[in-house]
Amino acid sequence: MKIPERVQQLRAESLNAPEHLSAERARLITEFYQSPDSRELSAPVKRARAFEYLLRHKQICISEGELIVGERGPAPKATPTYPEINLHSLQDLDILNKREKVSFKVDEAVKQMYKEQAIPFWQGKDNRSRIMAAMPPDWHKAYSAGVFTEFQEQRAPGHTVLGHKLFRTGFLNLKAEIQERVERLDWFQDPEAFSKLEELKAMDICCDAIIMYARRHADALEEMAAQAKDATRKRELENMAAICRRVPARAPRTFHEMLQHYWFIHLGVVTELNPWDSFNPGRLDQHLFPVYRREAEAGSLSREQAFELLCCFWIKFNNHPAPPKMGVTAQESSTYTDFALINIGGVKEDGSDGVNEVSYLLLDVIREMRLLQPSSMIQVSRKNPDRFIHKALDIIRTGFGQPSCFNTEAIIQELLRQGKDISDARRGGASGCVETGAFGTEAYWLTGYFNLPRILELTLHNGRDPRTGEQVGLQAGLPDEFATFEHLVQAFAQQVRYFADIKIRGNNLIEQIFARHLPAPFLSLLIEDCIQTGRDYNAGGARYNTSYIQGVGMGTITDMLAAIQHHIYEQKTFAWAELMAALESDFREFEALQYELLYCSPKYGNDDDNADRHAVRVFDIFYDAIDGRPNSRGGVHRINLLPTTAHVYFGSVTGATPDGRRAGMPLSEGVSPVQGADRQGPTAVIRSVAKLGHLRTGGTLLNQKFSPRFFGEEGSYEKLTALIRSYFSLDGHHIQFNVVDADTLRDAQKHPELHQGLIVRVAGYSDYFNDIGEKLQEEIIRRTAHE
Amino acid sequence: MKGLIFDIKRYAIHDGPGIRTTVFFKGCPLSCWWCHNPESRSPKPEKAIKTVRIGNTEFRREETVGRYYSVQEVMAAILRDQVFMEQSGGGATFSGGEPMMQAPFLLALLKACKTEGIHTAVDTSGIAARAAFRRILPFTDLFLFDLKHLDDQKHREYTAASNRLILENLRLIAESGVDIWLRVPVIPGYNDDERNLERLRLFIKDNQRSNVRRLSLLPYHPVETKYGRCNQEFKLTDLEPPSRERMLALQKAFESTGIKTTIGG
Repeated sequence: MKIPERVQQLRAESLNAPEHLSAERARLITEFYQSPDSRELSAPVKRARAFEYLLRHKQICISEGELIVGERGPAPKATPTYPEINLHSLQDLDILNKREKVSFKVDEAVKQMYKEQAIPFWQGKDNRSRIMAAMPPDWHKAYSAGVFTEFQEQRAPGHTVLGHKLFRTGFLNLKAEIQERVERLDWFQDPEAFSKLEELKAMDICCDAIIMYARRHADALEEMAAQAKDATRKRELENMAAICRRVPARAPRTFHEMLQHYWFIHLGVVTELNPWDSFNPGRLDQHLFPVYRREAEAGSLSREQAFELLCCFWIKFNNHPAPPKMGVTAQESSTYTDFALINIGGVKEDGSDGVNEVSYLLLDVIREMRLLQPSSMIQVSRKNPDRFIHKALDIIRTGFGQPSCFNTEAIIQELLRQGKDISDARRGGASGCVETGAFGTEAYWLTGYFNLPRILELTLHNGRDPRTGEQVGLQAGLPDEFATFEHLVQAFAQQVRYFADIKIRGNNLIEQIFARHLPAPFLSLLIEDCIQTGRDYNAGGARYNTSYIQGVGMGTITDMLAAIQHHIYEQKTFAWAELMAALESDFREFEALQYELLYCSPKYGNDDDNADRHAVRVFDIFYDAIDGRPNSRGGVHRINLLPTTAHVYFGSVTGATPDGRRAGMPLSEGVSPVQGADRQGPTAVIRSVAKLGHLRTGGTLLNQKFSPRFFGEEGSYEKLTALIRSYFSLDGHHIQFNVVDADTLRDAQKHPELHQGLIVRVAGYSDYFNDIGEKLQEEIIRRTAHE
Repeated sequence: MKGLIFDIKRYAIHDGPGIRTTVFFKGCPLSCWWCHNPESRSPKPEKAIKTVRIGNTEFRREETVGRYYSVQEVMAAILRDQVFMEQSGGGATFSGGEPMMQAPFLLALLKACKTEGIHTAVDTSGIAARAAFRRILPFTDLFLFDLKHLDDQKHREYTAASNRLILENLRLIAESGVDIWLRVPVIPGYNDDERNLERLRLFIKDNQRSNVRRLSLLPYHPVETKYGRCNQEFKLTDLEPPSRERMLALQKAFESTGIKTTIGG
């Protein structure tokens, strides 16, 4: 299906609009907090009033030709800031403006506003300051040493996805539900009744605010309609105005209303706070299919019209770069992508095949729009037909990295293991990069990346950081004292536990800071059972509350341990002293030893148990240190294994490693083998990776690279489908594909101007090759390509 | 019983249907000038040098090509990818070298595969005793049968053996009903003359209604460096591979005789 003219226009505008900061939100939120109205309010009501203030005064932006309306900022790619979360200094603004990658234009007016209004008011009062002041010294030490990162340092927790409920109801209904809940407050037994009342009041204010915001759009659309010269556009605008008067106040009835309804909700979430992974409509084909079928049967919607509406919807996501990130946060997630991940396929709530006509329609939209945002994935259930996978391969083979492929049965088992109800599990999926969640019912916060190779490096130095000389970890012994390999592993396990403790204590502190200072009453309306519990989303109001710590460098640490066991303890190729000297010198003068490490050691990714058993061991150590430990919201901590771009950052702070990797080089990403270390083809990679306990995680990430030549051959779709299905039958969680030649990437490095549209899969998302850092470019080139 | 194997390659996608594991037997009675695997010719383990550069330093390592495997060892390697074989309709392919040179070992492997429910393919030059072929037929699902030249004189010149036995064995298999994929290397100036191609077309036509399911045209690739590594003489120095256009034209010509024809694999 071809993209209609108007969409071409909107798409071009979206692609050409420069990423730039808008001072609007920062100005409004500061005004509100400065006003006398904001005093003496409970935290949730204050946040609700702030939300209402933002939506009342925010500029309305409606672009020519749009069918779905509403912008986060005053224009496409105008990016708001959130000074109450993280106040940017003037220097920060300067860096954002000037930095080479993921920059944002910052004009004088923004700087002026920051200088005169935002900075004087928020200095020292933003949430980041609060968090940094609350963290104990050992946390700061580990954080600075690059042992872990902290997700909530510059952004609010979000990590959730809209479920089916909100696609079937409107905010007037939610107001009734709130009212009913208020009436049921137990003033005799419940000591929290007053807090609940305040929270419910706040939610009610947010309902009115979002309805008011939609009506402001209706007013603007009516005005535009009155002035429209073109009769067709006039009718369109009138129709859009009518839709904005209906949704999100009342339940959407048509395809068009559905999309507009969701979009207002999306805008509400990303205006209230700057939650990670923006927000996400989740199982879009499942939500849209009933209305699509109804309208198709009634003759009120053609496939072309639905396609056009979806294209317009897609553009809205692409207009929103992730809020600006600084420092470590910028390094761990160095991209404009904001990780709204559309789920397609999988199973229905009753467990039957969920692929429907809208699934195929969405794949058409993805192929034709070829936009980085929203991200997309297919959920592959063994019940789904091969045709569905082949249709996705039509897109994957074009080298766009999307959609990625997820194992529905694994997702469901992961959720069931965590104690979710079977219906909630089947309505779930993956969001962000690869994170498993029960959509509409779970707050599953990612809290930070965890640098496993770095911890082994610290272990080899008795807890001392070889870069700074500082004692960062425990004193659990020096290599010479590890009489056996098992001693070393025990010492490593002790260090992992030590850092996990520091991280979890920090998480619990941070969660309580958010619960107390930054409730999210609007988001709370969307995720069950916040209304029923009368508790905020940020305070454990959701049905399920999970905190994740994401392990990074699985391939690297496996190869480190395999090489140590093989050369030091088994073959005795060299002794500890020699290895440590080689690492310290970054292999200068030790090339022969580096050769042994690189080419004469067992390597993960080759289905070699001599390497892979270490992956399993590290997995268990990491899992035991974290899984099931309580968080602050009535839930527990879990692990997953994904890096975004943290493998590059973590690599940059980690010295030379015993797998032969030189200092500063990126670590392996996700659960993929070390770049280039897998030499037995994709089946061996899959078998190695499948040895990990995927079902005990909340998501793992496997990258595979195929040469474009592969797809030229007869039967390539069948073979790749078989690879995917095999991996999934072995309980693999996720696999994604880069389809590109190293030559093309090399040429793009030399002549970026000739490859402006070149898109690659990074880790859990796609990005323009020109927009990613050189180290990451090199890392992607080094990945093994299968023919 | 042990067999001499020089490689076991997983994810072999050009050696029969689906995703396969190919077991390369060492030792071959032919010595084709264009052989892609010169290290597979000798029926004994041999040394080869592998070099790797790290920075400015070159590292050389002596490797042994060929190792004696038991049936259980080979089967363990094959079974690692059983899930992929089942998903893709793949299986195990026995190639070489010439697997029929170690016929008893091959037979044992084929039987073991059938016990495990694994699809079997034998990639052969056809040069072996008829009786040996008769014995493996019941356990072979597919033959990848190499036809180098239909002219006996030329066959002797380029491969150091007559093609008589080869053609007899091909007929034997054709009559048995087991599927055959013919594999014909395209060596410019050596076997791609009109006369040979015409004879090939006629041969295929004669066997049209039989079980010859497919013709694979394998374009010549220069492999001189491989010869250097194992100290063998390479006779086709400077021979250019056939052009893409030439291969497509050949494919078209054979397709027109009604046989499914692929380039490569």
